[in-house]
Amino acid sequence: MTSKSTQTMPQPQGQAQTDTVQELDNLMSLEQGRMSRKVFYDQKLYELELERIFARCWLFVGHESQIPKAGDFVSAYMGQDNVLIVRQKDGGIKGFLNTCPHRGNKLSFADAGNTRQFICNYHGWSFAINGELKGMHASEAFEATGFDPAGHGLHEVAHIESYRGLIFATFDPDAPTLAEYLGDMRYYLDAVFDMDDEGTEFVGGCVKSVIRCNWKMAAENFVGDALHAGWTHDSGAKAMVGGSVIEVHKTPESSYQVNFNGHGWEFNQDVVGNCGSLGDKELVKYLWGMQPKVAERHDDFRSRLIGAISSCTIFPNTSFLPGQNTFRTWHPRGPDEIELHVWTFVNKSAPPEIKDRWRKGSMMTFSPSGVFEMDDGENWEYSTRTNTGYKTRQQELYVGLGLGTRVENTDLPGNVYQGQVNEANHRAFYQRWLDLMKAEDWDAVPQRDIPKENL
Amino acid sequence: MSNTVFEVDKATLKPEGVTLVKLANWSVAVYQIDGVWYATQDGCTHARASLSEGELLEGGLIACPVHGGTFHVPTGKAVDFPCERAIRTYRVTDQGAVLTIDLTQPSEAALAEA
Repeated sequence: MTSKSTQTMPQPQGQAQTDTVQELDNLMSLEQGRMSRKVFYDQKLYELELERIFARCWLFVGHESQIPKAGDFVSAYMGQDNVLIVRQKDGGIKGFLNTCPHRGNKLSFADAGNTRQFICNYHGWSFAINGELKGMHASEAFEATGFDPAGHGLHEVAHIESYRGLIFATFDPDAPTLAEYLGDMRYYLDAVFDMDDEGTEFVGGCVKSVIRCNWKMAAENFVGDALHAGWTHDSGAKAMVGGSVIEVHKTPESSYQVNFNGHGWEFNQDVVGNCGSLGDKELVKYLWGMQPKVAERHDDFRSRLIGAISSCTIFPNTSFLPGQNTFRTWHPRGPDEIELHVWTFVNKSAPPEIKDRWRKGSMMTFSPSGVFEMDDGENWEYSTRTNTGYKTRQQELYVGLGLGTRVENTDLPGNVYQGQVNEANHRAFYQRWLDLMKAEDWDAVPQRDIPKENL
Repeated sequence: MSNTVFEVDKATLKPEGVTLVKLANWSVAVYQIDGVWYATQDGCTHARASLSEGELLEGGLIACPVHGGTFHVPTGKAVDFPCERAIRTYRVTDQGAVLTIDLTQPSEAALAEA
């Protein structure tokens, strides 16, 4: 994107935004476990999120395995901005706004593909895979009036980087590096995305659906809501495996929540609990086979969360479930709607039959018709929709489960909390949200979390 | 009148591909397709583009690198959208180590079609 000094688009400043920023501190008392419902319905807060969360943070835009060859591309979203993520001839990756800089039309209508150039449907402007303007229909007319194609290429994202095959991009030239942004979460990500030298890949395509909920409802569920599983998903668990979800709240000594920079992971040490919910013994057997290898590659602790009862959100809107192997982004579409993009990830080295079983298993559980996705979607929709009520929206919400469970003396990276049935990660998520929303720029974002890991 | 017949050293040309060759004031695309040599104008007839930066496809077609339109190299005919007007072809004679390219004569295939 254009740097700050050359930015030509007017920013949505003015009294309305100033009021919104000033009132941010009134939205949360996280130490008391209280927060306002306003963050789930207010249009002005949503506009500020587009500026200060989605145009600033590192956002997931694709998996390296989706674009192996030069010219391979995927269409992705960064907030409401549609971007094209394109493999370059030198093996690098670039990201561009999916819009023609001439008259603004959408450039590519494909979800994914391979191309030599992107040609706009409107006036035939043609762009190389590196974003440069190559030419256009009626080029003689442009040349006759002194047009210089240089400087009329596609609008490029500020930075794009990968971690363990996961590609992230940011629109903010002043953003920290991806490594700094992820921080200590990399230690935990390695357990799932770096089980062996080959890493992971996506199998099958992208399944998309719309849920009428605020994007944070979904993100907070995956950041730390182990609590809902035993209640919300009871019938789903009985359908899939013939029994209730394990009562993980009764054994807090063997489970954790960890968070860093607003990213959060809740997990226990049962190795295969999430995987078991797919009802496929071959997958459970595969993970038990991987566990000693991961213990050797990383450590015993991390080998016990490769498919355990767990969930994770990478701030702000990317989540996944180890074991169920669903990977997803919750794209905001206003304060009360998301477009959900879902993929299945597998170890690249896994046998083809195992990959296919995971693809089917994740579709049966975490697709629009999946037994668990439907349970969640209805709850999130009504947790959002109730706030259309004028008096309802003025009532506070509780987010205080697990206050005082911080583990102070631990070698584990990140902020560590005892017991996965906890809302510590919710509070860390919303603290990060608040810090970003209040900050004028990245320099003003408080550095609350100091990395333990020097990965 | 300036020279219109040129010799081109084959060692300077891409085998089984397309190469841009400057012959005096002319930009010429020289192709080898299935062992046979051809030459055409380098500029696309639709919009400004250098065909030698394009890609050779099955059936002796060159795809323009800008809009992806195609021409049939042996005859110069425009084949696919948005190309409508043929490109000029030139007579190529294979002399062994060198090619002779005559810019005043169309290719034999183009002549046969005309």
